[in-house]
Amino acid sequence: MKLSEEGLARALAEQDDALAKCVHCGFCLPACPTYRRLGDEADSPRGRLYLMRAVVEGRLDPGSDAFETHIARCLGCRACEPACPAGVEYGRLLELARQVGGSARPPPHISRLLLATFGTKWASRLAMLGARLLRASRIPDLLTSAVSWARRRSGEESAVESEPHSARQRSTARWGSLWLAFAMVSASAPPRRLFAEVRRRNAPRMPSGSLPRAAGADDRPTVGVLAGCVQAGLFSRVNAATERVLDANGYRVLTFRAQGCCGALHAHGGDLGRARALARRHIAAFEQAGVDFVASNASGCGAAMADYGSLLAADDAMAESARDFAARVRDVSQLLAERGGRAGAPLPLRVTYDPPCHLIHAQGVAEAPLTVLQSIPELQVVPLADAAECCGGAGIYGLANPELGGWIGADKVQSALRTGSEAVVTGNPGCMMQIGAGLALAGSRVRTVHLVEMLDESYRLGGVYGDRDLQRPCLEAPDGR
Amino acid sequence: MNPDLADALTEICGPDAVIVDRDRLLAYESDGLTAYRHRPGAVVLPRTTSQVRRSVLAVARHGLAVVPRGAGTGLSGGAVALDGAVVLGTARMDRIVEIDAPNRRAVVQPGVVNADLSAALRPYGLHYAPDPSSQSACTLGGNVGENSGGPHCLKYGVTSRHVTGLEIVLSDGSVAQLGGMGGEAEAGYDLVGVVVGSEGCFGVVTEIEVGLLPLPEGVRTLLGIFDRIEDAARAVSEIVGVGLLPAAMEIVDGPTIRAVEESVFAAGYPTDAGAALVVEFDGVDAGLDEESARAAGICERMGAREVRRASSEEERAALWKGRKKAFGAMGRIAPDLLVQDATVPRTALPSTLRGIAEIAARYRLSVANVFHAGDGNLHPNIVFDRRNREESERVERASAEIMRLCVGAGGTITGEHGVGLDKRRYMELVCGPAEVKAMRGVRRVFDPGGTMNPGKVLPDAPGEGDDRRAAQGGPAPRRSVGGGGARGTESVLELLPAGQKLVGEEAAEWLGGSGANAVVFPGSVEEVAAVVRRAAGSSVPLLPAGSGSRLRWGGGWPSGTGGVVVSTGRMASLVHYKPADLTLTAGAGMRWRDLDAKLRPEAQWLPLETPGLWSGTVGGAVARGGAGPLRTRYGAVRDSVLGLEVVTGAGEVLRLGGRVVKNVAGFDLVRLFTGSHGTLGIVTQASMRLFPRPEVDLTLRFEGGRERLLEGAAALRTGLLPVAAVELHDGVVAGRECATLRVRVLGGAAEAEDVRTRAEATVGIEPVDVLLGKESESFHRRSTDVAPEPLRPAAVTPRENSASSRLADGIKGLFDPHRILPRRP
Repeated sequence: MKLSEEGLARALAEQDDALAKCVHCGFCLPACPTYRRLGDEADSPRGRLYLMRAVVEGRLDPGSDAFETHIARCLGCRACEPACPAGVEYGRLLELARQVGGSARPPPHISRLLLATFGTKWASRLAMLGARLLRASRIPDLLTSAVSWARRRSGEESAVESEPHSARQRSTARWGSLWLAFAMVSASAPPRRLFAEVRRRNAPRMPSGSLPRAAGADDRPTVGVLAGCVQAGLFSRVNAATERVLDANGYRVLTFRAQGCCGALHAHGGDLGRARALARRHIAAFEQAGVDFVASNASGCGAAMADYGSLLAADDAMAESARDFAARVRDVSQLLAERGGRAGAPLPLRVTYDPPCHLIHAQGVAEAPLTVLQSIPELQVVPLADAAECCGGAGIYGLANPELGGWIGADKVQSALRTGSEAVVTGNPGCMMQIGAGLALAGSRVRTVHLVEMLDESYRLGGVYGDRDLQRPCLEAPDGR
Repeated sequence: MNPDLADALTEICGPDAVIVDRDRLLAYESDGLTAYRHRPGAVVLPRTTSQVRRSVLAVARHGLAVVPRGAGTGLSGGAVALDGAVVLGTARMDRIVEIDAPNRRAVVQPGVVNADLSAALRPYGLHYAPDPSSQSACTLGGNVGENSGGPHCLKYGVTSRHVTGLEIVLSDGSVAQLGGMGGEAEAGYDLVGVVVGSEGCFGVVTEIEVGLLPLPEGVRTLLGIFDRIEDAARAVSEIVGVGLLPAAMEIVDGPTIRAVEESVFAAGYPTDAGAALVVEFDGVDAGLDEESARAAGICERMGAREVRRASSEEERAALWKGRKKAFGAMGRIAPDLLVQDATVPRTALPSTLRGIAEIAARYRLSVANVFHAGDGNLHPNIVFDRRNREESERVERASAEIMRLCVGAGGTITGEHGVGLDKRRYMELVCGPAEVKAMRGVRRVFDPGGTMNPGKVLPDAPGEGDDRRAAQGGPAPRRSVGGGGARGTESVLELLPAGQKLVGEEAAEWLGGSGANAVVFPGSVEEVAAVVRRAAGSSVPLLPAGSGSRLRWGGGWPSGTGGVVVSTGRMASLVHYKPADLTLTAGAGMRWRDLDAKLRPEAQWLPLETPGLWSGTVGGAVARGGAGPLRTRYGAVRDSVLGLEVVTGAGEVLRLGGRVVKNVAGFDLVRLFTGSHGTLGIVTQASMRLFPRPEVDLTLRFEGGRERLLEGAAALRTGLLPVAAVELHDGVVAGRECATLRVRVLGGAAEAEDVRTRAEATVGIEPVDVLLGKESESFHRRSTDVAPEPLRPAAVTPRENSASSRLADGIKGLFDPHRILPRRP
């Protein structure tokens, strides 16, 4: 992944104009989760842009400790973009900076291992199979409970109270990537207990009955649902639910194979070469299927796909189809909200919604998920404090930076717990696992649930799907599509 | 970077809190003004006052300077470190220490973000009023350093008005507690006031106490679209002229409108307009519609082609959008943008804007104006390309001309961005050598070694030697007061002609129990200066006075001390008064009642109501300082004094501050002299801020048991009722104890009626009587003669520790080196 000298020069030159937009006003500082915690301006968007500019100006070596540390420490949550009055495209610049930095100095082993795994179809499938087997063994659940119990017993909570920052840092250091990974696998399991509780509360009621589908030719808009890698591996139930709810809301869902990883993790990690290769393959697959919309239920992937236009702008052969593809990308919540959200059975639960960064900041989708949640009868949605702040998951960030990611994640978990919710609803598998793992490690039984799972459960109970699946609890859909 | 220092700082603040890697320090090269790049020697990020204190000491031991820095959003280059100084970042000191809602005060660490404080206060129905445009990012420590403004300062005043206490770490490692506990600056000098706006040159502020205001009940916003910017500016003056006091008045000019409309922030302003004026009223809901209708009428009369109104939050945001997004939009179209900052009196806006356009044309530059029109605070933005050398030079020359233009119009070189590095070269436009020397002296009282943010604000010192001694606050030659004896007094008296002095028996009425044996009436500031210099030379004690009212009350010093009373009574003219500017300049000897008589026909007033106000003079009111019962509405005396002419105890004439409401050019020495009781110098002239006289002035009087009335007063307070003043008086009626609760209501007719009804309901008993208009006014005027205490939180004990009294002594030594003025209170 070493860039040629020429390529490096081009990447830098491209940054020059974009970087000049930053007027150093500092409005992005409080939006940045790493700056808010570390207080070091080099860990703020403005500071990182300044370091990038220094590289362009030849004042800073892209292989320096400073550049590597601060660029790597960025979550890539892009919360700084809406805060920026000058419209600096921080996300794109970060990817370039990571590419430049990565070619000057290779990123840590864990990042490279993860990116290599997701970049290769068979390796990704194998890893996911392993993860599913591990999850089925219930070992992660037991380990997570044990770790959580041990931590609480060792009295870390009280230390956190007395001296918030340093104690928290010490404790998160002990989180370790390993425990986190186990907890994440455990958190990816279906929310069986939660939905069983819904059924218990709903028991005396009659389902609202199925609504007939319009007869005649199926001229509904067609949607291809992104299967993804982690979704397909650990959240196939969410993919299946996505197809069902879209179908119930007036979309014709086309299913097709030959999809791969969308390249989001690689782009965000600065491995732009591999990201472009994956994007090309991906576009070709969807073009063949010929869809009106590309629906994503993983906001990280959605944001990356919506960005294919600029990712492949320099690729003469693909540029146009990339732009066309990007224009068709929608988050599943957008497609649902557009249809006004068909009502299902009541879900008498108290939940809170955590907007994924790549949905709210990168794609600017803030209202649609709430519209969908509000369409579910009796679902009480409590506002989450600092909702728009990253959960610390940030793709592979949480695993690569367990200390800082854990600190940010712990804050998210605390504010989620303060809402008194029974579940945290979000729209991205990474966030589901990160927050879910954090909750479990904090000893909480609160679950993370995908937005689409919620709606799907409401539809099932309400008999929206007709006889199909009626009353059957939401379980794992068959894997390996 | 010295490794020993790095180790020492690491020892103090922890390994992750010290940055010495040259590459990592790049991020601290600039603040919001990137024209200046200076890489610091190190950055340290402490969390506690103790860490700050020890870090400051460690840095000092290694002979380096300290530069305090908040979020680095400043626009004057004030937060960059020259010569490898150590940046002390306050980002980790981001704790809101206390929210004391009943007493409407909060204590915060300096790294708390301005908008975060207001967000935390919202559940209490309170807010922190100053709202600089960078409020989402800038810190309160930075706000204190710069004395920040913001759109809504027109009605509520700048940072200085809202900061009531400070904890500051000085360069010698001592921690001074200044003000605090909501206390007025009555005890000693207003050190809080002089530290606010000192741009980090006095020390590192580590804790800030601020006063809070109730959130306004209602808001009305309107947007006037004008063909010509001069018309918009005239509308601003007219709105103020008729006695309306909007919360904000902001102008966006044609070029800016077009930039906004072409950007992604398009706000729907017509692109062929010459200017857009945003006017916002807030406060009691009743009456707001009427006020905004009047303002809309004025806009139309002044030639607005269209006036849009908003009442819902969304509509309001839409009207504001073009104003709020202006800088962002300009930033998007321009390779580089110089955001200038200067203030002129409001009525000078139209001519100044014409002048700026002329300068821009002459230098072939494109200038766009976005500004706080209500305060006369201009922000001409110059679009240029830094890479074009020749163009950058033109920008430089045009900036200098704009500064001179604004100063010539009676304004100043910076209204809210501060001097920092960028405007030091313009300081001579507003400060003479004497003022600069005085500022340098005050700075040395706080920071004798000059290691706090050196190289900022003041121009380079020419000869350091002469004022070094005074600056050290060191032992001034201590002569015995009164040592001058009869010959000394004689030598002072011979300076003035017969009609301007009284001695012995003739002066008896004047001297009362003052202990002095003569009184002089100099007719000009030069004569005052001559008297002071002569007295200093002969060690004759001087007692500054106005009409002598204080002396009749027994002010002065022990009898037999001797000395001369200096009365400013002959300097009683109204020097300058332009009603639409809402400011005036008066000689110190002008009687307060004469001043009020001049304001009355213009429906304006200066509602201070401090004890003794109505029997004294302007100079007396300034020298006594303090606050009256209307403080929460109109502020204390310190908040109304914009500029002073004083003769210091060393006989130097200082012209401080100006005639504009926003002025951050140099250190705020006006604050030091205000409320100094004549112990630092003799005030000869004062410029004050005025207010429109409210349409309705009424006072409700409730009588009853003390406990019951206290309950009522508390209910008014916790109910956040917008009454102007609440006072409780104990008294005896017909032989039994009976307290009185006075509730004063000021405002427009509808507003006052609404507040009155609610106040009666809140107190829960019928008022025994209601005083209206002049009756209410004169009732309060009379009551200042008996000097009642305003109702205040119980625990008002201004904190003065050894460090702060050392500072006060230093200030005293600086301005009264010969100890001829009264001792400090």
